[in-house]
Amino acid sequence: MDIELSSEDLAFRDEVRQFFKDNAYKPGDDYNQWRLDWFKKAREKGGWDVPKWPKDFGGPGWTPTQHYIWEQETARATLPWDMPFGVGMVAPIIMGYGNEEQQQRFLPDIRARTVNWCQGYSEPGAGSDLASLKTKAVLSEDGSHYVVNGQKIWTTAAHIADWMFCLTRTDDSGKKQEGITFLLIPMKQEGIEVKPIITLGGNHTVNTVYLTDVKVPVENRIGEEGKGWTYAKGLLQHERTGLAGLSRSLVALEGLKENARSVTRGNGTLMDDGSFRAKVAELEVDLLAAEYTELRSLASAQAGAAPGPESSILKLKGTEIQQRIQKLTMEAGGVFSAAWGDKSVGPKFARGGMAGYLASRAYTIYGGASEVQKDVIAKNVLGIKRSSK
Amino acid sequence: MNFELSDEQKLIGESVERFVQDNYELETRRKLAEQDPGFSRDYWAQMAELGWLALPFAEEHGGFGGNQIDTMVVMEQFGKGLVLEPYLASIVMGGGAVKRAGGDLAAEVLPKVIDGSRQLALAYAEPQSRFDLHDVTTTAKQDGDGYVLNGHKSMVLHGATADQIVVSARTGGGQIDTDGISLFLIDADADGVKRDGFPTVDGLRACEIELKDVRVGADRLLGEAGKGFEILSAVANDAILALAAEAVGAMERLYKDTVEYTQERVQFDHPLSDFQVLQHRMVDMFMEYEQSKSLLYRATLEAAQGDAETAQRTIHALKHLIGRNGIFIGENAVQLHGGMGMTEELAIGHYFKRILVIDSQFGNADYHLEKFAA
Ligand SMILES: Cc1cc2nc3c(=O)[nH]c(=O)nc-3n(C[C@H](O)[C@H](O)[C@H](O)COP(=O)(O)OP(=O)(O)OC[C@H]3O[C@@H](n4cnc5c(N)ncnc54)[C@H](O)[C@@H]3O)c2cc1C
Ligand SMILES: Cc1cc2nc3c(=O)[nH]c(=O)nc-3n(C[C@H](O)[C@H](O)[C@H](O)COP(=O)(O)OP(=O)(O)OC[C@H]3O[C@@H](n4cnc5c(N)ncnc54)[C@H](O)[C@@H]3O)c2cc1C
Repeated sequence: MDIELSSEDLAFRDEVRQFFKDNAYKPGDDYNQWRLDWFKKAREKGGWDVPKWPKDFGGPGWTPTQHYIWEQETARATLPWDMPFGVGMVAPIIMGYGNEEQQQRFLPDIRARTVNWCQGYSEPGAGSDLASLKTKAVLSEDGSHYVVNGQKIWTTAAHIADWMFCLTRTDDSGKKQEGITFLLIPMKQEGIEVKPIITLGGNHTVNTVYLTDVKVPVENRIGEEGKGWTYAKGLLQHERTGLAGLSRSLVALEGLKENARSVTRGNGTLMDDGSFRAKVAELEVDLLAAEYTELRSLASAQAGAAPGPESSILKLKGTEIQQRIQKLTMEAGGVFSAAWGDKSVGPKFARGGMAGYLASRAYTIYGGASEVQKDVIAKNVLGIKRSSK
Repeated sequence: MNFELSDEQKLIGESVERFVQDNYELETRRKLAEQDPGFSRDYWAQMAELGWLALPFAEEHGGFGGNQIDTMVVMEQFGKGLVLEPYLASIVMGGGAVKRAGGDLAAEVLPKVIDGSRQLALAYAEPQSRFDLHDVTTTAKQDGDGYVLNGHKSMVLHGATADQIVVSARTGGGQIDTDGISLFLIDADADGVKRDGFPTVDGLRACEIELKDVRVGADRLLGEAGKGFEILSAVANDAILALAAEAVGAMERLYKDTVEYTQERVQFDHPLSDFQVLQHRMVDMFMEYEQSKSLLYRATLEAAQGDAETAQRTIHALKHLIGRNGIFIGENAVQLHGGMGMTEELAIGHYFKRILVIDSQFGNADYHLEKFAA
C-alpha cells in the first residue's frame, strides 16, 4: 500500500493549479465570455475541457490518479458554471451508441458549451420505477420521424435547455424495460410546453415538460429502437458515481468550521460548543473514510479491474455527507438561517441557510433515491435473492 | 391520573380545529403569506371575537384566566393549519411579558391586546446573542424621568406589523449578566425606531429593529428596572411550550400525510406502503410523534401546576426533543414523498419549514440538551 503521488502526479497538480490561477475570473469580466474562453483554453491544454471523455473523442486520457487530482483542485477553485447534462451525461451516450453523423453533429456544440441540455427521464408515474415510463413515440408511416406525446417531470433546466435527451416508449407489448427508445428532442419547437415547479428552497430549477404531437426526425434516435433502457442504464451508473462530491465536501467542511468559529457563544465560539463540535467531528470522520473508499475504488479502476463493492456506497455516503454539511451550516446560522430569499441578517454565511438545507434534501432523492439504491446494493453486491415479490 | 382536557378546553380545541379547516386551505394561506401584512386582520378580529386572544390573561384585564394548557390546545391546532396570525408574538410573547410585569401598564395595554385592536411583539434577540436571552448590548440610559434606548434587535417575530414592542435593554451589568436587563414597552412608530421587515422560510414575518436615541417615559418600564431577565425567561418558557404544541400539530400532519401518500403512490406495481423499509420508517415517525406529544403534556402540566424548577428542566428536554424529532419526521416525510416532497405544492414541505424555524427559536435542540444536562 502506498498513496504517495509520483513526481509526475505532483507536476500535474502544479500545472492544474497554475492553469486555474492564470484563468481565474476577474471582477469586471463579462461572465459568459469568460466562461466560453475558459473552456476554450482548457481545450487547448489537451482536452481539459472534457476530462472524462475518452481520448478518441478529444479527452485528455488521464490516469485515475490524475482525475482524482483534478477533482480535488476543482473543488478549491472558482470555475465557470457547467451543467452536467451535456458533457457529462448525453455525450457519453452519443459517443457510445450514436452513429458517426450524430457524433459530428452534436459533440462539438456540447463541448463548446454553446447549447444547453436537459434530461427527460422521470414522469409522474415513473420515478424510482423509471422503466414504467409512458411518453409515447410513434414512428410515422414513411419512417421519417416519430410523433411524441406525454409528460416529463422534474426536468432540471428544461426552461433554459435547447435540447432534451428523452426516454420514450415505442412498444408496450413486452417487458417494460424493452420498448424504450432514446430520442434527442429540440426544446424550442411547437408542442413542447415547459412549466416551472418551485421547490422548497424557493428556487426554480425543475420543470414539468408537456409534449404534444412533437415531431422528432428518426435521425435523432440514438441506437436502435427499443434499446434505450440499456443505453440509459450505463449512464445512470455514471451519474451516480459523479454525485458523491467528496472533494467539494472536504472544502465545504473547512468552510463550515471557519463559519462556526466566527459565531460567538459566551466567551468562546460555536466550535467550543460540545455538541456542535462533536457533530462536526463525526462528519469529518465519515468524510476521511469516504475519501479512502473513493481512492480504493479508483485504485481498482487504475488497475483496470471492475469497480469493487466499495464503489456502490459512494453515492449514498457522499450525498448523506453533503446533507449533513448543509444541516450544520443551517444550525450554525441559528435563527438567522430562517430569513427567506436574498435577505441577509446576522453573519453573512447564514444567508439562505435554511433554504440551502431544504434544497439539499433532494440529494437523496434524485439520481436514484437512497432506499432504492440500497435495494440495488442488496441484490447486486450482497447477492441477496428475493424468494417472492 | 387524567389526561383528558376539561369540557371547556375540548370546546376551544374543536372550535380552533373548525376555524383552521374552514379558513386555512394551503392556497388561502399562500396568498395571505405573500401579501402584506402577512396574515389576515379579519381572522385576527374573529379570533378576538371567539375569545382566543383572552385565554392566557387574568380576568381583571378582561381575560379568561387560563393557563399553558389552554394555550397548548390552541397552538396544536394552529400547527395543523400553519396559522399565520401573530398569536405567539402578540399573545404569548408580547402579551406574556406585559402580563407578568403587571401594574398600570398591564391594565392599560392588555384589554386592547385581548380585543384585538393592538398587537405586540417581543424584541429579545440581537446579532451577537445567538440563543442567550441574557446576552444584551442594547442600552437604556436614564435621562430625566425617562430612558433613552440605543441598540439593534434581531429577528423580531411580527415586529414590523406590531403596534407596540417589548424591548430588552441594559440598564446595568455587563453584556452577558442576567442582572441589569430591563424591559420597555415602546411604540413601534416612536422617533428613532427603524424597522426592516422581511419574510422567513416558514412564510411568517420577522424584522430587524434599530433603536437610535429612542425616548421612553419611566412608566413604560415593565416590572422592576434591572429585573427583566426573570420575566424574559418565564415568557421564553411559555413560548417554548406554545411552539412545541404547534410543532406537535405539524408533526401529526407530516406523518399522517406520509402514511396516506405512500398508500396511493404506486411504483414497481406496488403502493409504496408495501415496501417494508418505508413501513418501518413511518412507524418510527409515528413513535417520535407520540413521544413528542407525551413530553409536551408533561412539560405543559408541570408548568401549569407551577412547579417552576421541575418544569424548567422538562421544558429544556421538550425543546430538545421537539427539534430532534420534528426534523427527523420532516426529513423522512420529504424523503418518502420523493420529488413531490420537494415541492411547494404539497403541504408537507410547509410543515417541515415551520418545524425548522421552530427549532431555531428560543434555542435549538443542542442548546436545550446542554441546558438539560447542566
Ligand atoms: C431536485 C430534483 C431534480 C431532478 N432532476 C431530474 C432531471 O433533470 N431529469 C429527470 O429525469 N429526473 C429528475 N429528477 C427526478 C428524480 O430522478 C426522481 O425524483 C427520483 O427518481 C425518485 O422518483 P420519485 O420522485 O417519483 O419518487 P418515488 O419513486 O415515488 O419514491 C418515493 C419514495 O419511495 C421510495 N421507494 C420507491 N420505490 C421503493 C422500493 N422499491 N423500495 C423501497 N422504497 C422505495 C423512494 O426511495 C422514495 O423515498 C429530479 C428530482 C429532484 C427532486
Ligand atoms: C434471551 C431470550 C429469552 C427468550 N425467552 C423465551 C421464552 O421464555 N419463551 C419463548 O417461547 N421464547 C423465548 N425466546 C424466543 C423469542 O421469542 C424469539 O427469539 C423471538 O420470537 C424471535 O424468534 P427467532 O429467534 O426465531 O428469530 P427470527 O424470527 O428468525 O428473527 C431473526 C431476525 O429477523 C427479523 N424478522 C423476522 N421476521 C421478519 C419480518 N417478517 N420482517 C422483518 N424482519 C423480520 C427479526 O426481527 C430478527 O431480527 C427468548 C429469546 C431470547 C433471546
